[in-house]
Amino acid sequence: MDGYAGKILRLNLTERKVSTIPTSDYEQWGGGHGMGSAIFFDLVKDKTIDGLDPGNVVTIMTSPLCGTLVAAAGGRTEVQGIGVQSYPIGWFTRSNFGGRFSAMLKYAGWDGIVIEGAADEPVWIDIRDGEVQIRDCTELSLWGKDTWDTQQSIWSDVAGGDGYGDWFEPSGKDGADASSAGATTQRPAVLTIGPAGENLSRVACLVHDASNAAGQGGFGAVWGSKNLKAISVIGTGHVEINDPKALLSTRLWHKENYAFNLADLKETWGTFQFQSPPAPIILWEKGRPKIDQRPQACMGCHSGCRARYQDASGNEASCIATSFYFDAKTLDIQRTASDLLNRYGLNAVEMMWGMWYLGALAYEGLLWTGDIPECPLDWEAYGSEEFVEQLVKMVAYGDDGKGNESDFGKDISGGFVRAAEKWGRREVDLASGLLPFPYWGIPLHKEPRAQVYWGYGTLLGDRDINEHGFDWIKAVASGAQGEGAESHATGLVKIVTDKMVPYQGDMDMLDFSESNIYSEHMAKMVSWQRYYTRFWKQSMLFCDSRWPDFINIHRPDFIGATGMVEPEYAKAVTGKDLSFEDGINIGRKIWHLDHAIWTLQGRHRDMVHFADNVYEEEPLFPAEVPNVFLPGKENGKWGYYGYSYRTLDRDKFDDFKTRFYELQGWDTATGYPTRAALESLGLGYVADELEDNGKLGESS
Amino acid sequence: MNDQKGGNTGITRRDFIKVTGAIVIVAGIGGCGATDESPTPTNTPSPTSTPVPTDTPETGQILVTPDLIPPADGYLLVDIEKCQGCLSCMLACSLIHEGVESPSLSRIQIMQNSFASFPDDLTIEQCRQCVDPACVMVCPTGALAADANFGNVRIVDREKCIGCGLCFEACPFTPSRAFLAADEAYDGQAKSRKCDLCANAPYHWDEAGGGPDGKQACVAVCPVGAIVFTAEIPRQEGDRGYKVDLRERNWGKLGYPTS
Repeated sequence: MDGYAGKILRLNLTERKVSTIPTSDYEQWGGGHGMGSAIFFDLVKDKTIDGLDPGNVVTIMTSPLCGTLVAAAGGRTEVQGIGVQSYPIGWFTRSNFGGRFSAMLKYAGWDGIVIEGAADEPVWIDIRDGEVQIRDCTELSLWGKDTWDTQQSIWSDVAGGDGYGDWFEPSGKDGADASSAGATTQRPAVLTIGPAGENLSRVACLVHDASNAAGQGGFGAVWGSKNLKAISVIGTGHVEINDPKALLSTRLWHKENYAFNLADLKETWGTFQFQSPPAPIILWEKGRPKIDQRPQACMGCHSGCRARYQDASGNEASCIATSFYFDAKTLDIQRTASDLLNRYGLNAVEMMWGMWYLGALAYEGLLWTGDIPECPLDWEAYGSEEFVEQLVKMVAYGDDGKGNESDFGKDISGGFVRAAEKWGRREVDLASGLLPFPYWGIPLHKEPRAQVYWGYGTLLGDRDINEHGFDWIKAVASGAQGEGAESHATGLVKIVTDKMVPYQGDMDMLDFSESNIYSEHMAKMVSWQRYYTRFWKQSMLFCDSRWPDFINIHRPDFIGATGMVEPEYAKAVTGKDLSFEDGINIGRKIWHLDHAIWTLQGRHRDMVHFADNVYEEEPLFPAEVPNVFLPGKENGKWGYYGYSYRTLDRDKFDDFKTRFYELQGWDTATGYPTRAALESLGLGYVADELEDNGKLGESS
Repeated sequence: MNDQKGGNTGITRRDFIKVTGAIVIVAGIGGCGATDESPTPTNTPSPTSTPVPTDTPETGQILVTPDLIPPADGYLLVDIEKCQGCLSCMLACSLIHEGVESPSLSRIQIMQNSFASFPDDLTIEQCRQCVDPACVMVCPTGALAADANFGNVRIVDREKCIGCGLCFEACPFTPSRAFLAADEAYDGQAKSRKCDLCANAPYHWDEAGGGPDGKQACVAVCPVGAIVFTAEIPRQEGDRGYKVDLRERNWGKLGYPTS
């Protein structure tokens, strides 16, 4: 099985049992998310259990491309399971992180890890090639350590006395000669929780190296409930490549023609695009540190999106991890704040909006009213390092941030929407937008009134989509105004929609005008993005920082490589003739399986709605200031228009849902999957389970 | 991270010569057996002849003198401050030499620590094609030799390699640039691997191939240009000859330090 290791590690923590699942059993799903959803469906009989129930299964999956030279697809790992972040139901959800964990897992000979049950004492998993041990945390005193200390403790243990810097054999020590035990110079790749996960905070995440995080879903708490502290993997093996010459040739050709050129830089800042140079994507409000640094990239990536610094602060932090604490007094404090999130293992976006929410309540004088318990924070110190350290610890430990009991700390440790619920403020603050969590208790990211690809995709799914595929259009659009905007917009829209197979040719898929955002064209756009991301990005693991490549400034015709190069890479690695459209179809199958799981969890179309303020008010503050410009047709004329300052129409959005369900082949009365749709995708067994649970929709 | 090995074996290249004291020169095809004395060569060794001892050598015994080994026609220079730690070079190296992706089979090693301070958070350790190559000098079968077909690059002939590991012990640098790994082509026997400037790369992507006259995979794939090829012999003492500054003005435009 070229590209694949051939086996998936299955760990039952309750019984402390290690076994294997043949990857071939799930090969049709590609890898990553597809495999994770399929394995979850098979192993979890009762999909209504809570995320902290020992019956929850967490999958940690790679793709056949991980650990290879496929550009910006070698380093990501997909985590799935029942989450505990979303509200009111913790949806079966996903999170994804970069670095080198997936690559190392492949070199160890594993395509993924499946975790069942819960250990009776805190444990960590020590994987050295084929040797897998479930070890007590007491040996290295890991439980209680932050994520950085945990990783370094494990590194010391695996290396033994000599530390790192030389060849060493991590496994097969006793009596093994050089030909049987592999050697490496690398440090283990470790994925771990911090104190937040240990204390079951719903804001807890998983961290790898300095700042790769599976941030969403509250997987830190899920691991904590399983008494699972960390997974360490070191591999000395290899990934088989079907056509090595083709892989390197494709990579070199792709880099030459579509990637940045140091000798002729077209841009000097980092963006979420394939064309971006390796400048770190950092959003520290006070800017980029002007100290010595290097770019740092995930395994095999052609253009790193983060950096390491001469004082090691903010190492590898990028994007949302750097958006936290924008009111900090100094850049150094902002960088330390990023480090705190990583060390304690906390979801950066929820912490950012949560801190904003508390600040808004404080500013309005509401923080000391009603049912809100006493707040231990000293708001006079807001902007200082002490303030953010205390807040981080409050959420991580559920106390006052200084080791004392605090109901306030306990409440926010459960996430800010549930805290608001406790305080009797959830409905009123969601309605006004003071609590910026517009769907499923999930924090705001992009403007739902304008960037409907984002809002609709999130609401119709399980979590903030965090898929930037269409999002860069707004940056282009805000620059391209006035004369020439019409031809610019039509040119851009044509290039992008031409790639959206099988819906190519329908330019109205990217018309964000008021008259079009509830249309069947938009339903196709949202569907396409679901299918594309479920397969090519979340199953084959092409990184969101660099893919898709729709528009590329290094090309004379500006046409990016998406749709053409992904299948070439996949073929060079696996030998399979999988077209771009084949992948889209698998993505559709995965999306239907996920929706079946959510339906079994209790989803019904009546639950699918935005917070009231999205329908009733223009943004309290736009998610992106000052306005989001997107392509649209106004009076029949294409151009770029600002669409943030409008509201969504509740009834028209309901009609949109109907159109979306029709396009999927689902029961429009309930939003439930139908047997016809499922069987057409080879998912008859899924229809059976829905039927057994009274959740099978009726075909029209 | 040490460049000069002192720890694991306690023996440096110069110690080999001093301690063993025996320099055996074996000349010609099927030539003289090794003796305890320094024999007189029966004929002048030609650049293409490979010294082949008939007895098993003692550990550390030098089998070929430095002055019989011509310098290589090519070298890799690296910039450890420019490196982005993607390991693409390692993946490309193992890919074209072995047909698989494996850092453990890469002839160039990047080691990094996410929690350390720049520039000590990362190092690139490439083979130096040493002018006085300890690995060549100790090889008992002549498997590791200066290959005149490829500009005297120090190359392992795996057919002749017996997996003894003397090259691994002899390399004065850490990690050893010559290392042993199981070879699937030889039923899993341990064979030495070492940078050959892509001379013997069965999966080379370019028609021109590798070696000093051809293309190196690590140089080609490095996304930031942190590895270059040179035909000039670098300064042999210390790191300055091999760890250089390759950061041009545009690197500074990206906000990174240049000298």
